[in-house]
Amino acid sequence: MTDHADLLQGTLDLLVLKTLILGPLHGWAISKRLRQLSDDVLEVGQGSLYPALYRLEDRGWIRAEWGTSPEAGGRRAKFYNLTAEGRKQFSAERSQWRLFSTAVERVLKAT
Amino acid sequence: MSSFAHRALRRLRALTRRGDIERELDEELALHVALEAAELERQHHLSPDDARRRALVAFGGIERYKEAHRDARGVRWLDELRQDVRYAARALRRSPTFTVSAVAILALGIGACTAVFSAIDAVVISHLPYPHDEQLVRIYERNSPTNQFGLSVADFQAIESWQRVFSDVGMVRSADAPVTAGAVPQQTAVGYATSGFFRALGVTTSVGRGLVAADDSAGAPPAAVVTHAFAAQQLGGDRAAVGRTIDVDGTGYTVVGVLDPRVKVMSGRTAVWPDAQPRKPTRRGPFGLLVVGRMKEGVTVADAARDLASISRREFVVWQASFQDRDAVLVPWSLRRTILGDAPQSLGLFAAAVVLVMLIAAANVAGLMLVRAAGRWREVSVRAVLGATRGRIARLLITESILVSLAGAVAGVALGVGGLRVLKTIGPHVQRLDEAHMNGHAILFAVVVALIAGVVIGAYPVVHLSRGGTSDGVLGGERAVGGTRRAHLLRAGLVVAEFALALPLLAAAGLLLNSFVRLQHVNPGFDAAHVLTMSVSLPAPRYANDTAVVTYWTRALDAVRAVPGVVSAGLGDQQPLTGDQGIDENNFDLLDRPVPAGTAQPVTPWSVVTAGYFAALGVPLVQGRMFVPNDTGGPHPVVIVSRSWAHRYFPDGTAVGRRMVSGGCTSCPPSTIVGVVGDVAYESLSDVPEGAYEPLTEGWGRSLFLFVHTRGAPMDVVSGVNAALRAVEPAVTLADAAPMDTRVAASMADPRHAATLVGAFALAAALLAAIGIFGTLSYTVSMRRREIGVRLALGARGEAVTRMFVRRGMAQAALGAVVGLVAALIATRWLSATLYQVSATDPATLGGVLVALLVVALAASWAPARRAAAIDPADAMRAE
Repeated sequence: MTDHADLLQGTLDLLVLKTLILGPLHGWAISKRLRQLSDDVLEVGQGSLYPALYRLEDRGWIRAEWGTSPEAGGRRAKFYNLTAEGRKQFSAERSQWRLFSTAVERVLKAT
Repeated sequence: MSSFAHRALRRLRALTRRGDIERELDEELALHVALEAAELERQHHLSPDDARRRALVAFGGIERYKEAHRDARGVRWLDELRQDVRYAARALRRSPTFTVSAVAILALGIGACTAVFSAIDAVVISHLPYPHDEQLVRIYERNSPTNQFGLSVADFQAIESWQRVFSDVGMVRSADAPVTAGAVPQQTAVGYATSGFFRALGVTTSVGRGLVAADDSAGAPPAAVVTHAFAAQQLGGDRAAVGRTIDVDGTGYTVVGVLDPRVKVMSGRTAVWPDAQPRKPTRRGPFGLLVVGRMKEGVTVADAARDLASISRREFVVWQASFQDRDAVLVPWSLRRTILGDAPQSLGLFAAAVVLVMLIAAANVAGLMLVRAAGRWREVSVRAVLGATRGRIARLLITESILVSLAGAVAGVALGVGGLRVLKTIGPHVQRLDEAHMNGHAILFAVVVALIAGVVIGAYPVVHLSRGGTSDGVLGGERAVGGTRRAHLLRAGLVVAEFALALPLLAAAGLLLNSFVRLQHVNPGFDAAHVLTMSVSLPAPRYANDTAVVTYWTRALDAVRAVPGVVSAGLGDQQPLTGDQGIDENNFDLLDRPVPAGTAQPVTPWSVVTAGYFAALGVPLVQGRMFVPNDTGGPHPVVIVSRSWAHRYFPDGTAVGRRMVSGGCTSCPPSTIVGVVGDVAYESLSDVPEGAYEPLTEGWGRSLFLFVHTRGAPMDVVSGVNAALRAVEPAVTLADAAPMDTRVAASMADPRHAATLVGAFALAAALLAAIGIFGTLSYTVSMRRREIGVRLALGARGEAVTRMFVRRGMAQAALGAVVGLVAALIATRWLSATLYQVSATDPATLGGVLVALLVVALAASWAPARRAAAIDPADAMRAE
């Protein structure tokens, strides 16, 4: 296994919301998309993914719907969809993250 | 949808559709694993089995994730609650002795509380059976703050024609009269009412029609309504009843309707309600009517009082010739209040008693819990070390105590059903108590009491447990924890509290018992053991004139005196100690000392009696003379007064020969006092036995009470007396034959029952307190076995050890008892009104119960203390 990075506390929500920006996905697809987008650096523990999905749904940022998945051979899958509130939350969290990461970067760069 | 509502809905779904959600989660995770496996199969060219295994490994334990998911769903507490309950139930099953005693103690407390609550619910909290009972008032005539009485027809008609505040007003005159529905007349409770009475109450008929305004006018065909019970027993059912004619005291009434059986009108005793058809009166009196009014929408009792006051002023002028008491005013009282009477106070006594018992029971179980918790300290500590949070352990203990108290509630409700039956038979004599039953309110009440008790009882040991460090528990075990100073104080605190709660209860029981014993020694003023009494009524049609009535009574008395076993006989219009119905009182004015014009005259119980009355009852002559057969009233009427009366108005002993006018009659000739007789208790044994008598002469009533002095047991002559009375007039109505001593006993029923019930509660309290001190001390002894062993081994004598523990137990009990004594001194003042010739702070009674309680404490401490002294030193030291 190459270098995997553990997720920082609190960033999982942001990443999940990001994967859903383009359209509804089911759980496994979300984890796969995260892996792809991060060039296999970010490995989301499935054990944290599903509780996170539930939490996001609970807060009303995503909505779950049952549908059929072509890649699963037509099996029933639960698709997660971003709500309007979820979109707002995403941009808020994204700017927060940027602020945070640049600040950290700045600190690390300092001599 | 607000996000809060959204989340609440989801939580609700998570709880209610738990199975669905779990299934969906399973499905979702299975899909995840399948897809992951497929991917692995594709990328790494693995066999499907290997791929699946790797996918599962990558996922980690599925169950763990499910658990994490449940956490996020917020249903963990439910799962844990389920676990707690299961665990607590298991733990309780493992210690049946503890469980059974705790449940039994709580069942006792909760059962008593629930029974008394049901009574209070039915009597005080529930509404009267009439619609909008808050609009109903009863109207009285009041001439001084302490004296009010029923109205007269003149009053009622004045209100009817002048009032502006009531939508309906009605009156009832109650009487016991012979009613003939079949062949034989039966003495029956009759209420002569106007149609407005039923309209005001809102009581309707279930069959036929009610009384209407047309029935009220004099000359209308006499109509009556009857109760469902009367119709069923006497008239062959509701349908058959309507249209029948019944004879009420000589007048035929057509039954026009049967009252709604679901509504009990007034006390429920009155069976027949003829229309009163009140005529235009010729004078202000006589009084004694029950008048009720329904206030119009928006009218308050104060408004009604103003309206009635102005009616009183207007009416006074009209009747000034026959009524001079200008102070007499018509006053309205909320019907609820007049019906409840002093029920809130008398039930309040029992409520206070059961609350104390419940608190002691809870303290007792808390003590048991504490000991049990200390015994389980090691187990609890191990759990803590294994990762249970402190909150979780506390919850476990509280769950356990809630389980115990809920079980107590179930048993308590069952006990309460029996308790309520006891309360109904020997409880305080209050209206509507017979309507009490264990309903939803009572069960809810029991559950709430149980939950509160459960939390409090469970929290008590938690306070104590949560302070110690867990390592102490694992290493030191019970001794390290149960023996701390803090634990000792908590246990001692419970014992002190139990004794402090028990003492006021014992004090109340002692005072009530003392008062009852004194009441028993009151001389009723007559020879209770040898007097038979019964009511005798003559049929109206054949006894229309006074001559016929006088002839009957004279012949009847002669016939009764001839019955073997009869010593003497007399007649009177009052029966001493009749309880409910009350006694006729009359106002009078002494010629030597008239009251100022326009003010209230004094009143006294007033009987009309034959010359033989005093001899029959065994009332002695004190001064002057008895009545003689030719005391015929006329221009020189005579009266006899009781010793207390004479002493109050003429303390110098000069009552005989004085003159008075009675009944506010200004045109009547004054009566002369010819004799003073012994006191007779008319109202109740505890009242001042004043009274006055006038001879039964003109206008002999058709209904009188017969008093027969017997040589042997009074009931032995009943059949002979009945036969003698019927020989003179076969159609005579005889009722309520009883020896006078049963009347005396019945008049003491309330104080006797109060003493019995409160006494039972007090005994339970003392017993529980004793168990408390016994349990705590036994525990302490077992805790200090080793130390005691060492002491004994070092030469301490057994008595010294016994004394040490007895002293400890007694110190706690005494501290509690002293605190309780202070509380009792404050609280028993509340009993003053119910006590007879006993001060609420009677030092002998309070001292007595204090000593009694300490003796109980001594006995309860003695056994464990003796056990301590009997410890074998060698054994004790080897044990640890």
